[in-house]
Amino acid sequence: MLRARWYKVINDLFGNKTRTLLIVLSMSVGLFALGIILSARTILSDGLAESFATIYPSSGTVRTIELFDEDFIESVRKMDDVQEADARRSISVRMQTKSGEWKNLTIFVFADYEDIRVNKVTLQSGAWPPPEHEILIERAALSVIEAQVGDMILIRFPSDVERRIRIAGLAYDPAQLPAQIDGTPYGYITFDTLEWFGESYGFNELHVIANHPEDKDWAQQVVNRVKDKAENSGYTIPLSMTAEPGQLPMNDVLQGILLLMGLLGVLSLFLSIFLVVNTVSALLTQQKRQIGVMKAVGGGTLQILGMYLVMVFSYGVMALMIAIPFGMYGARKLSSVLAVFFNFDLYSMDVPPQTYLIQAAVGLILPVLASLVPFLSNLRISAAEAMSSYTMGKGRFGKNWIDHFLSGANLWFVRKLSIRSILLSVRNTFRNKGRLTLTLITLTLGSATFISVFNVRASLSSTVEDMIKWFNCDTMFALDRSYRADKVQSEAESIPGVTKTDVWIQLPTRLVRRDESESGMIYMFAPTVRPDSLIVSPSLAEGRWLAPGDENAVVVPSALLIDEPELELGGDIVLKIDGDEHVFKIVGTFKGMAFLPIVYVNYDYITKITNRTGEADAVMIATQQHDSVYVDAVTRTLEERFNLVGIEIGLATTINTERRDAEASFDAIVALLLLMAILLALVGGLGLMGTMSINVLERTREIGVLRAIGAPNRSVASVFVLEGIIIGLMSWAMGAAVAIPMSRGLNQALGQAVMGVPLTYSYSLPGLWLWLVIVILLSILASFIPARTASRLTVREVLAYE
Amino acid sequence: MNSSIAKPLIELRSVVKVYESLAGSVIALNGIDLQVFQGEFLVVTGKSGSGKTTLVNMLTGLDRSTSGEIWVNGEPLHRFGPEKAARLRGGTMGVIFQTFELLPTLTVLQNVMLPMDFARRYSRWEQRKRAYHLLEQVGIADHARKLPTALSGGQQQRLAIARAMANNPAILVADEPTGSLDSATAIAVIDIFTGLVQEGGTVFLVTHDKDIAKCGSRVITLSDGEIVM
Repeated sequence: MLRARWYKVINDLFGNKTRTLLIVLSMSVGLFALGIILSARTILSDGLAESFATIYPSSGTVRTIELFDEDFIESVRKMDDVQEADARRSISVRMQTKSGEWKNLTIFVFADYEDIRVNKVTLQSGAWPPPEHEILIERAALSVIEAQVGDMILIRFPSDVERRIRIAGLAYDPAQLPAQIDGTPYGYITFDTLEWFGESYGFNELHVIANHPEDKDWAQQVVNRVKDKAENSGYTIPLSMTAEPGQLPMNDVLQGILLLMGLLGVLSLFLSIFLVVNTVSALLTQQKRQIGVMKAVGGGTLQILGMYLVMVFSYGVMALMIAIPFGMYGARKLSSVLAVFFNFDLYSMDVPPQTYLIQAAVGLILPVLASLVPFLSNLRISAAEAMSSYTMGKGRFGKNWIDHFLSGANLWFVRKLSIRSILLSVRNTFRNKGRLTLTLITLTLGSATFISVFNVRASLSSTVEDMIKWFNCDTMFALDRSYRADKVQSEAESIPGVTKTDVWIQLPTRLVRRDESESGMIYMFAPTVRPDSLIVSPSLAEGRWLAPGDENAVVVPSALLIDEPELELGGDIVLKIDGDEHVFKIVGTFKGMAFLPIVYVNYDYITKITNRTGEADAVMIATQQHDSVYVDAVTRTLEERFNLVGIEIGLATTINTERRDAEASFDAIVALLLLMAILLALVGGLGLMGTMSINVLERTREIGVLRAIGAPNRSVASVFVLEGIIIGLMSWAMGAAVAIPMSRGLNQALGQAVMGVPLTYSYSLPGLWLWLVIVILLSILASFIPARTASRLTVREVLAYE
Repeated sequence: MNSSIAKPLIELRSVVKVYESLAGSVIALNGIDLQVFQGEFLVVTGKSGSGKTTLVNMLTGLDRSTSGEIWVNGEPLHRFGPEKAARLRGGTMGVIFQTFELLPTLTVLQNVMLPMDFARRYSRWEQRKRAYHLLEQVGIADHARKLPTALSGGQQQRLAIARAMANNPAILVADEPTGSLDSATAIAVIDIFTGLVQEGGTVFLVTHDKDIAKCGSRVITLSDGEIVM
């Protein structure tokens, strides 16, 4: 048999089901948000790393111009520091989509599909290995090439050989950037099929795993040794790169997402705490009189405190029972969505027990701690006060300058409005300033986060726009090898619609550190630097852009200065070009996400020091009109023209495609941000509903007075609904202000994680107005239910209250 | 009863209570000196606003006086904080209110058991037995498993009395216990108090009803916070 006081706890918990439901829901929304973030973070960071390990990721890649054979692979495998090596043929081709558009397609050819030892590719569906004269497409690329399994597609090799080939199935290749992000689809064929296209046997891409793959510096040295070996064997190396150990290709974006999740998790935790304090305050207001009675019959403070803490603990247990499974489900769904986005299979969705423990601690201990504040202030008042009869509502309106401001002559304009209850609502809002503050904190945090989420979204778009603005052109062609610049430009300018052309050359380079060690591959782009140059300037973080006549000036990504601490703006950088070391001066840093580091130098200077004067291996073209249809049409004509005159195209892309691809890479972040914004809006709304419920409860007798003097139901309800709207509007205004530093912080954190520099700040007015609409709707909804309850009470009931 | 030699159960010495409000200070009690003795049925009367309820709050420790001394059973209640006052109240006094103040989520039986639980006076089994016995005494044992809302006004007040007697207190303090009852029920409730006094108990009753006041062994009248007779 339980003690009598515990019966009260049990009966209170289950006797008022609506109240219990509201409290438990309030708590579980916050816990759910926390659970989903904590669990998804763990699943993504651990699960993806675990999944990635199963493909035997390479430590680095060395690409050759000349083809090599199995003997060279074997010789690399025998190197002391190489744990494993494998090779493939990689060819950039063009393919025609159903709509007639030509797209880039990268084809990989393996000698033995059953024995891929590094960066494993596996079968998703269809035949394995790819049947003769058929192709497998990477599963994430199907939507990009606008085709289905079984379709015939037309492929054109750089040698101009064209073949129609059937898509035999789908492959899974997580080591590549997902096609929807970088816009490059991947295909897989056998060497027999390659021969059918008129190409000879041989590999041009070597993937190696260092014997200590977890050590990036070591891995880099090993990759460099392999590169040196290849060079010594007579191969030309246009590209070699080292991968981040154990990290998938889009790790920066994933880290950004995880960081954002962490920040939003902390925010939702704060919101949950405020919500708990608000909810517990509501509960105590309801129970104030009963607490007085218990004191009157001899209940000690600790005894009563114990009862209510057990009650709050029980609410926490119930909230956890909802939040943990739903949070787990949500986390798995969210992780799956992100895994699809990153083109990864999650072999493990396990969440370590610590995650549950944190959730349980937050759900059980924090509410108890948070509720101590309202408990202690409530228990401090005397039993007589707790049981005191009607004193025209609670609150201390009339004491300070705010109250004086809201009273009398200052609000003269309200008197002229047809809704006189506005005046009552305005003053009621400020009656209990403590509760108003608590509600405003909860709602303002929710508002600020919601608006910030939209700001981050707008900032991501601005950042993409900034990156695109570098290129004052409409279409770009990377050529398969160097051509004479004047020939390329004159051929391009002969096409109607082309208004201007410009050329650059690109070179593989490496940073040589003070200790003589070398970095991985860095792309060196050398654009022509003239006032009318088509490449204006990247979005600079610090310093300046290249100037005409610059000799050894270089502009580097700001992320490079973070990765290589010995570099600084204004300092020197030693770059190895074609085996020779050259000293450059860093004159500026630029913002931007690059999966390979890029540095910019002056075309005239580089062509001079590399004896390539007058050469070009990339051309940028501006067109008369800039819409996709027009630019695509001109690009197609240019492609045909270049093919006709023997200029082989390695890669063709338009600025519109680049913009779309860059925005797509942020899609997951934006989707996640929106999901979080909705959750936070829900938490804020529930907080407001709790406050309005207490307000109605506290003023039950006042409602009776209003009804007794003839106020119809509608008027009574409108007083509370208006009060809710006023609180909502105040939180909106404050949230709009708090969102400025908050979104700057998020931009800083996200930008640093993804690109090494803050995002380009942008304040989203659509987000601000959308939240205004939502907050008004939420306020109406949150106050309508308690207001309707209030308006339905009979005069006798409300005047008898207390 | 010989008040000159017996030690008072409750003693108030120059008790003052001032309430502060936006309208200014209000003196609710102005230097009250009062002694209540064992076996007395003391009735306090007075008009609305005369300070009767404030006096109850002071001597039960439900509220603190602004100045003066309150001694209950030899203990200096005026020096006690809320915690100690609650313990003293639980062991020494039973309080009854005009609006019954029953806990709506506890059954009739559990309402009576609650003060015993707080005071940790009896074992759980004894608490139950004693609660039944008290309910029988006030004539509502048949309703033991009901919630208070299922009872009539008179039955609710009987329940409040049973609850007040739960810890066998030295004194019952009742603030307008018949204020919410019809006259027949009010008489029945007063009969319970009379019976208690006859059995040696002490009752301190506040009422504005002159007929009920006649039932007391001693009557004092409050006016503007002062004892006038």
